[in-house]
Amino acid sequence: MSTKLKRSIIFWVLLSPIVVVILFPYAVMTISSLKSAQEVLNPNWWPSELHWQNFPEMWRTSGIAPALANSLYVSALSTALTILVSIPAAYALSRYQFTGRDVFRQFLLVSQMLSPIVLVIGLFRLVAGAGMIDSLNVLVVIYTAFNIAFCVWMLQSYFSTIPRDLEEAAWMEGASRWRTLAAVFLPLAVPAMVVTAIFTFINAWNEFVIALTMLRTEGSYTLPIRVFSLVAGRYTVDWHYVMAAAFVASVPVAVLFAWLQRYLVRGLSIGAVK
Amino acid sequence: MPRATAPYVLIFPSFLLASAIILWPLKEIVSLSLHDVNRFGMLRDFIGLEHFRVLFADPDFIAATWRTLLWTAAVVAGTLIISVPIALILNEDFYGRGIARILIMLPWAISLTMTAIVWRWALNGESGMLNSALRGLGLIDTNIQWLAQAATAFPMQIFIGILVSIPFTVTIFLGGLSSVPDDLYEAAATEGAGSWDQFRLITLPLLRPFINIAFVLNTIYVFNSFPIIWATTQGGPANSTDILVTYLYKTGFRVGKLGEAAAVSLIMFAILLVFTIIYVRLAMREAKA
Repeated sequence: MSTKLKRSIIFWVLLSPIVVVILFPYAVMTISSLKSAQEVLNPNWWPSELHWQNFPEMWRTSGIAPALANSLYVSALSTALTILVSIPAAYALSRYQFTGRDVFRQFLLVSQMLSPIVLVIGLFRLVAGAGMIDSLNVLVVIYTAFNIAFCVWMLQSYFSTIPRDLEEAAWMEGASRWRTLAAVFLPLAVPAMVVTAIFTFINAWNEFVIALTMLRTEGSYTLPIRVFSLVAGRYTVDWHYVMAAAFVASVPVAVLFAWLQRYLVRGLSIGAVK
Repeated sequence: MPRATAPYVLIFPSFLLASAIILWPLKEIVSLSLHDVNRFGMLRDFIGLEHFRVLFADPDFIAATWRTLLWTAAVVAGTLIISVPIALILNEDFYGRGIARILIMLPWAISLTMTAIVWRWALNGESGMLNSALRGLGLIDTNIQWLAQAATAFPMQIFIGILVSIPFTVTIFLGGLSSVPDDLYEAAATEGAGSWDQFRLITLPLLRPFINIAFVLNTIYVFNSFPIIWATTQGGPANSTDILVTYLYKTGFRVGKLGEAAAVSLIMFAILLVFTIIYVRLAMREAKA
């Protein structure tokens, strides 16, 4: 047996307890979503038949379709807005020396530390005062504000790895600063932008407490609130539908993440030390 | 664009947005916490620190504060202890490493709310699959009503908290391990250092800044974590699993005592600020190193 094979077996044996525990809830989710209404109450692993019709039934009855649309709208828009305001700030931090640069960096750091939950009372008062409860656009602005720090931080540490020589060479050739930015710098920064964009998207997609506070009518619910409302404060819960809904809400992002995670390791390892 | 003003123009939109969403509510919270407020948010008389006095006289608040410290300490310590060996293994070259990484990172991608709702179902006394799995393994004879009493609900919530914090922590450690040059280990091996010595003398010191950062960031995230407890027990039964965030939410939006809820926010803010200052110190030291 080769040493690598032997090592692989040992490592998988060591990892198996944690892998089993991590996968357990998602296995429960998947299996429960395929059980019939009677069978879901029996805690056996394998259903006697796979109830695929749970998914179309859940889709019709649970109001998940508008929630999916709302989640997509909020996540896509806040991602776009975050990237739009973060790129210039990150560029300024990585390419200019200016008074207040360190203050701005510390401000970002502090803003990342303050989670939405600590500010939720104040945010609610402001939003209610403006009569904008139930507005998805308010959610977009709030998510953007709370993601700016992380994005600027990540983009800036990536921008700093792009050699200045390239831009200086373009200036020498007579290109303007704007033209250099558009033709030389930004294309090189695309990988970092993609990683931060996907990260922001996942954050917005999964956010709970602000949405729970600001969205009061069913039509405006995002996915986490929609699924939570299927469980909370009810005497009878249709767990097979709830699990089907949780499955639909989780799988797209999980697939996206599985594909992204190696970039994230690299990105965070730069971001963490800068 | 003149060079002197350019950076300010560039940072302005992000600064404006972040400060409006963070400083403005903060100001609202300060004024709410110092005034008598009715449940519709109308400010009445200035009452100074009365809300804080009421809070510190409330045994539920005191209990929630201690529970928050226990919750944070247990989840962060558990996460760090479990994440170091996982990161060390995932940093080695072995068959299926890519899949192992994806599996262990998975909870990160899935909303905490969904994970907590699924756990609530898995922990159900009669129909929950945890009981049936444990019975199948012969570990328990009778079903446990996991979420019906704090003695089992709170440890389970800590356990879930640890599971969902591992991915982020392992990611930070992997970033740190990838910066350790291989030739250090080769040099140590030729000097006759065993693997335990290599870990103790090379890996751990080089990983130290990353452990610090993971410690502080996790402390902040866990301290603020709302969905796990809210979606499993909503702080119940009888407030026995409340931490500060759920206490804050109930006080503000269920009971409608906005003034007291604002005071809880400020107390949490003060605790977070201490962590933030520690974090800034650590980050600065890293930047210089």
